[in-house]
Amino acid sequence: MTHPNLTRIAQGVVALLLFFAATQKFIGEPGTVEVFVGLDMEPTGRYVIAVIELMAALLILSPFAALGSVIAVSVMCGALIAHVTHLGLVVNNDGGMLVCMLVVVLLCAAYVLVSRRKEIPLVGDTFS
Amino acid sequence: MTSTFAIDLEKISHTANIAIVVLCGLFGLAGYFVSFYFHFLTVAFFLLVLLNLFWRHGQTSHTLLANFGFLAQIRYLVESIGPEFRQYLFASDTEESPFNRVERAEVYRKAKGIDSTAAFGSLLAFDRTEIKLRHSFYPVDTDQLEPFDVAVGAARGLDTTYHIRRPIMISAMSYGALGENAVRALARGAKLAGALMNTGEGGHPKYHLMEGCDLIFQMGTAKFGVRTEDGRLDESKLAVLAANNQVKMIEIKLSQGAKPGKGGLLPKEKITAEIAELRGVPMGQDVLSPAHHVECVDAASTVEFIGRIQRVSGLPTGIKFCLGRPNEFRTLVQEMERQDTVPDFITVDGGEGGTGAAPKSFMDDLGLPLFEALPVVHRILRDEGVRDRFVVFASGKLISPGKQLKALSFGADVAYSARGFLLALGCIQALQCNRNTCPVGITTHQKQLQTGLDIEDKARRVANYIEALHHDHVELLAALGRSSARLLCEENLYLPVQAPASPLGEEPS
Ligand SMILES: Cc1cc2nc3c(=O)[nH]c(=O)nc-3n(C[C@H](O)[C@H](O)[C@H](O)COP(=O)(O)O)c2cc1C
Repeated sequence: MTHPNLTRIAQGVVALLLFFAATQKFIGEPGTVEVFVGLDMEPTGRYVIAVIELMAALLILSPFAALGSVIAVSVMCGALIAHVTHLGLVVNNDGGMLVCMLVVVLLCAAYVLVSRRKEIPLVGDTFS
Repeated sequence: MTSTFAIDLEKISHTANIAIVVLCGLFGLAGYFVSFYFHFLTVAFFLLVLLNLFWRHGQTSHTLLANFGFLAQIRYLVESIGPEFRQYLFASDTEESPFNRVERAEVYRKAKGIDSTAAFGSLLAFDRTEIKLRHSFYPVDTDQLEPFDVAVGAARGLDTTYHIRRPIMISAMSYGALGENAVRALARGAKLAGALMNTGEGGHPKYHLMEGCDLIFQMGTAKFGVRTEDGRLDESKLAVLAANNQVKMIEIKLSQGAKPGKGGLLPKEKITAEIAELRGVPMGQDVLSPAHHVECVDAASTVEFIGRIQRVSGLPTGIKFCLGRPNEFRTLVQEMERQDTVPDFITVDGGEGGTGAAPKSFMDDLGLPLFEALPVVHRILRDEGVRDRFVVFASGKLISPGKQLKALSFGADVAYSARGFLLALGCIQALQCNRNTCPVGITTHQKQLQTGLDIEDKARRVANYIEALHHDHVELLAALGRSSARLLCEENLYLPVQAPASPLGEEPS
């Protein structure tokens, strides 16, 4: 159903985009600051999310990729909720770029999650 | 009205399955109206709800999960950490199996060279269910004792006769069951202490030979290391091996206490390229040894085979078995007399013996325990008038000096242990020998797990353990009023009235 090479590519994509997103939050790129102001989470939330994203990016390249993908999917779900409930799909006139990126990460991470489901800590055994 | 208080699992789990959906919704609302931070919980519960839906409706291979949802998984997780939990928190010091904490601690202390006196009193129950040693009013001075010396091969007048000078030897464990570092630490420890080590049935004993200790080469039923393509004996290979001056004896394995009637088993997880080569077997599948040597199908052929090994090797040669039917053993001994071919030693392995891997029912339900088998073997040899022609080795949880002396009193000449030495190497009884995941790097071939097992350090512990056992052996012997281990006999034993020992092991004739 899933292909190991595709899984590896997906892991790379997730790691790259999350790493990019995390650095932007760390350096306080104005766009991201605005997003977190919109959520009333500036600045703590911005750093918290950045740390989680960085962690997911690192984990998904490690032997604990399954765990990394769970975290990545979770963060992206949270982000989707933010866009749907508070921010809207177009942020800072980006024509929906941010949301597109988010969906790409979500799909890739979900793909990794599915193909590595047996390795997820605590529940992996139940998929065999 | 009956008032029974019972936990209705079905109701609880049904409620829980609904509760997580409701909570997910509530957190969602809180995230929207109160603070966005609540959405951390929303997301977590959302994923849990998805997973729970899958467990209950999307799969059929886990019944509990399908019927009860995520609570079943929590039950499973709690259960899976149960053994560790009990071991660390709840198991009392005399409760665990196969070796409880008191027994293990004694080995650890001996291995580390720490004082092993205890205080206040014994932790064991003194309720007439245990075999005890009977001491004498008149202890012998320890400097009056004869040094321990058992000559194997002397009865046949071999010039390769070997003198065992330690009352304890390292029992068969193959390279394969054990990793490289463990084998080398044991071999180096044996060398340090001047003890004998058995190679186990793992083929050419490359790592055992590396450390220069004296060895008993074990020939398993598959004859790894000395086999022809079709599993028969390759005499030239055996002759070459026997000519190695570290190899002092040959042990023909007929059976083993943990799995009598079944050949050795090495799970595929543990077969590396090197092991495949040393044994001459393919990788990627379990290696199963046959249940018996192809040459041995009855008493006559077995004795012939023993004679053949003796001729080819020129070394003291013995057999190892776990006793099942005493009458069969009697027939075998009579056949030995008829052919005038006696093995130089017999290893009696108790049904409680250890193993790297064996089917559970074989471990649990087959084979006489050591203290039942030993007296029977001893008596049969005496009845047949041939006791003097054999040296008897005994194994089966003989990890403390007291138990070793009991075995000697039951008729053995030298004690053998496998797991005692694993404990000396730092074994924590994680019971994973068959999975290549041994957390202390003993029964695994994974490099990173083995790095924790420092050969030099652990070799010292093995040697300490042997020396401490020998020390205690001498002290106990003196207290029993015997000037030599050869003089030990059943008179030195207190057998509780209903002790499993004595006639139970005998077959109705
Ligand atoms: C890890 C491990 C590997 C063993 N491998 C062998 C073997 O290759 N051949 C054999 O005859 N017995 C083997 N045994 C059995 C021991 O040699 C011994 O007979 C048994 O464990 C009883 O001694 P103990 O109670 O002191 O451990 C093995 C035991 C263990 C624990």
